Amino acid sequence: MTWVSPLTGLILAAAVIPPLILLYFLKLRRRTQPIACTLLWKKSIEDLQANAPFQKLRRNILLLLQLLALILLILSVMQPQVQAGQQTGGKTVIIIDNSASMSATDGPDGMTRLEQAKQLAKQRVEAMYRGGLFSRSPGETMVIAFSDRAEIYSRFSSARQQLLAAIDRIQPTHGETRIAEALQLSRAYTTNVVDIMGEARPTGEPAHIELFSDGNITDLDDQVLRPGESMTFHALGTDDADNVAINAISVERPFDRPTAVAVFVSLLNFNQREVRCDVQLSVDGTARGIREVQIQPARLDPATGELLPGRNNVAFAPFEQPRGAVIEVANLRQDALMADNVAQLVVPPPRQLNVALVRSNYRILEAALDPEGMRLQRLDVITLERFEELAAENALDQYDVVVFDNRAPTSLPPGRYLSFGATPPVEGLNEYGQGGTQLILTTRHEHPVMQNVMLDDLRIAEMTLLQPGDDVQVLVEATGGPAMIAVSRGSFHLIHVTFDPLASSWPFKRSFINFIYNAIEHLGHIGEAVTSEGLRPGEVLTARLPASAQDIELLTPDGTTHRLTPADPSQLSWGPLRLSGPHLLRWTEPGVTGSRRQSRAYAVNLLSETEGNLAVAESIDIGQDSVTGTRADASTHTPLWPWAIALCLGLLMVEWWVYHRKAYF
Amino acid sequence: MASFGTTTTPKPKRVDELIDSKLMAKLDQVDVMSRKIFSGKLQGERRSKKRGMSVEFADYRHYVHGDDLRFVDWNIYARLDKLFIKMFLEEEDLSLIIALDTSSSMDWGNPNKLVFCQRLAMALGYIGLVNHNRVSLYAFSDGGLRPLPNLRGMRRTQEMGSWLLNQQTGGASNFDDAMRGIALTRQGKGVMVVLSDFLYKEGYEKGLRYLSGGGYDTFCMQVLAPEEIDPGKAGLSGDLRLTDIEDDDVAEVTVSAGLLRRYKENLDAYCGKLREFCVRRGMMHLTIDTATDLNVLLLDYLRKRGLLR
Repeated sequence: MTWVSPLTGLILAAAVIPPLILLYFLKLRRRTQPIACTLLWKKSIEDLQANAPFQKLRRNILLLLQLLALILLILSVMQPQVQAGQQTGGKTVIIIDNSASMSATDGPDGMTRLEQAKQLAKQRVEAMYRGGLFSRSPGETMVIAFSDRAEIYSRFSSARQQLLAAIDRIQPTHGETRIAEALQLSRAYTTNVVDIMGEARPTGEPAHIELFSDGNITDLDDQVLRPGESMTFHALGTDDADNVAINAISVERPFDRPTAVAVFVSLLNFNQREVRCDVQLSVDGTARGIREVQIQPARLDPATGELLPGRNNVAFAPFEQPRGAVIEVANLRQDALMADNVAQLVVPPPRQLNVALVRSNYRILEAALDPEGMRLQRLDVITLERFEELAAENALDQYDVVVFDNRAPTSLPPGRYLSFGATPPVEGLNEYGQGGTQLILTTRHEHPVMQNVMLDDLRIAEMTLLQPGDDVQVLVEATGGPAMIAVSRGSFHLIHVTFDPLASSWPFKRSFINFIYNAIEHLGHIGEAVTSEGLRPGEVLTARLPASAQDIELLTPDGTTHRLTPADPSQLSWGPLRLSGPHLLRWTEPGVTGSRRQSRAYAVNLLSETEGNLAVAESIDIGQDSVTGTRADASTHTPLWPWAIALCLGLLMVEWWVYHRKAYF
Repeated sequence: MASFGTTTTPKPKRVDELIDSKLMAKLDQVDVMSRKIFSGKLQGERRSKKRGMSVEFADYRHYVHGDDLRFVDWNIYARLDKLFIKMFLEEEDLSLIIALDTSSSMDWGNPNKLVFCQRLAMALGYIGLVNHNRVSLYAFSDGGLRPLPNLRGMRRTQEMGSWLLNQQTGGASNFDDAMRGIALTRQGKGVMVVLSDFLYKEGYEKGLRYLSGGGYDTFCMQVLAPEEIDPGKAGLSGDLRLTDIEDDDVAEVTVSAGLLRRYKENLDAYCGKLREFCVRRGMMHLTIDTATDLNVLLLDYLRKRGLLR
């Protein structure tokens, strides 16, 4: 038996027991009762006192009963517990949070929160299935782990070893904490089973949920406990866990120096004190520079009570990096959560594009697509017939973008196209005539192609009128309808200008060159793994590998190699990503590279403000229920205080009975 | 128990509330009997051993100096020239004395002890008056002895009832002085009934000794309320400060089964001792519960015990 708060009980005992005994030593406040004659009563009292030496003690049975009741109350305040199994049968769902914040190493002996959670959960299972004096049938238990996705590790089972093994299998992830899916999964096995009449009905009583988490759950507001459901929240971690996180990383190649790289990092301080830390920049594993950063302390928002972390940004001066590289920024300061101390980005080499121009009789586009001015690898000017031949030979892969200058092929295979004038044969582009003079009405400036493209003074003499389909994005709307549209369907991407530039004032505008540059860059780099934005845990990795790629495998940061067999290597996807850090995709391409293995790196960064905050929630509000967290491993004990309270009530009833039945002793 | 011992029934205010006509009709057939002096009954009168003035001749005797000349038989003197005194069988009525304790302790209990005693005294007195006995009543408390002597005949019934109703309780009983006073003023012989609870802290022995001198056939009727006979059953419980309503004496008790048992033992012993004291002196002792029905008491119980016939 253990005691949760023995000191409180002892203080209480010292405070109340002596006064009670003192009160009994003091004279009783007696009720006055007139009687005819005290003669016989006095004689009786004298007799009793004379004949019963222990009369005082015997008369004080009430005192004894009251003392016993008081002691039981004090015992209940001290909260005795015994090691015992679960009190109730039924179903229990053990939900363990394995999100990024659970990797914080603020447990005893440097244990992570997840390791603590697993240990506690195993103790819980041991306690439930061990049996004991106060235990009954423990029922069945299910094990679910969740971060931004939930995964069932064990369905409802009463096999202790199976449950323990399932808990052992839970691995940390670097995802965010979202419990909705976990709750849905747990309910899927207890409720809403459709019977033969087609009506949903519960399959049994609602489950009791044992949640092991640090309580930083982002989607709690949307959740409610269903009627009959109950929850025990085991809060893990300490409030003073030290953490400084890299919140954002960005890499850019300056426009004027395409071979150089500039790195920007944002850091968050979740400690309520100012910190200094060294931030190291590495390129392909080689340190290139260290900057010392001072970050303001976090403070509590007085309005919401939320922790507002201190912020600081670091910019590393541009440096020459003509090749592709893995840029890594590391916060060298040791803290509880290491996963958010490193952020990487894979910077591709400043790849130059191969462009084919299906020309017309005019050379205006050929002039605009000057390979030197546009920084193109190659510009092939081909005829429409040559394009048709290449398409038939399936040899269009050599071009990143094909530009049609007022030419329309008979069909467009998957690829990336920029076309002017003649309407390409694409579903969703329905011609219905020719329009006269046009003015520009609206422009979608947020589209990457429309950056720095000002069309206000554009005049169009003639334009093909189009009725766009549902999935056609209109970039520029003229008085007669869409003037520029974008179509994106899987691996088919098209940007189409519905008028011939020669039939407008556009070739004389700066926006014409800007538009062509933007469109070529945008289409040419679509689907490339990383430009300046990294992936995040929980997202899906997508890659466009050559169609002939074979023997594809992915190396994750924990050293595991996953063999991938996609149906179409040009549309490869894998996920969700579980861990942050560099992921390496490797493949061979027979014939082309002489079976040499090729690889491509992908950076996955935590970059989450929610997960970086390691403060432990004292309680969680789920719907209208507030579940207070238990820090101790209380779930492995059966509290005895309800028994003490019940005994105390029983004693009080006996005391009342004795008092009114004139103390039959 | 706030109502413990408190009288809840209203006290009688009229004579017919003391004794109803049905009981009176039944009592018409009953007479007071003395075990000591008289035996046999003449209707309305009693034959006495003592010769005296009467119409019934008993004997002659010689005249001696000092005899009343009115009883000289002059015819005998004329014939024999000797003075003879005619002696008649004196008709002597029974003297019934009822002594009523009106101390404060009597005005307690449910049913009330005093009211019970008033009714009993009224009934006994009525029997006496119906049978042409000389009925005397005495009320005693520390206020002194209040007599209503020598009532005779049914016409005095109303007067006796009014006197009984007018008796107020107060103070201690002062039993010794009262008994002494009654003994000193007694006339002739007869039956004496003492109605009291006999719970005297100063003791009853001295007072009763005055009555045991002779002449009286004494009945000590110890009237106790149910609350005195079995206080536990009557609801006495808790930690109490018992206050004597006569002298404000206090006894602090915690009522328990043991205490109640001890009280009963003491009560039994007290009553037993009183009974033994009375028996040794030729007196009759009766313990009467005020819850006892008066009809049963008069027509059954007191007949069996020899007070009535």
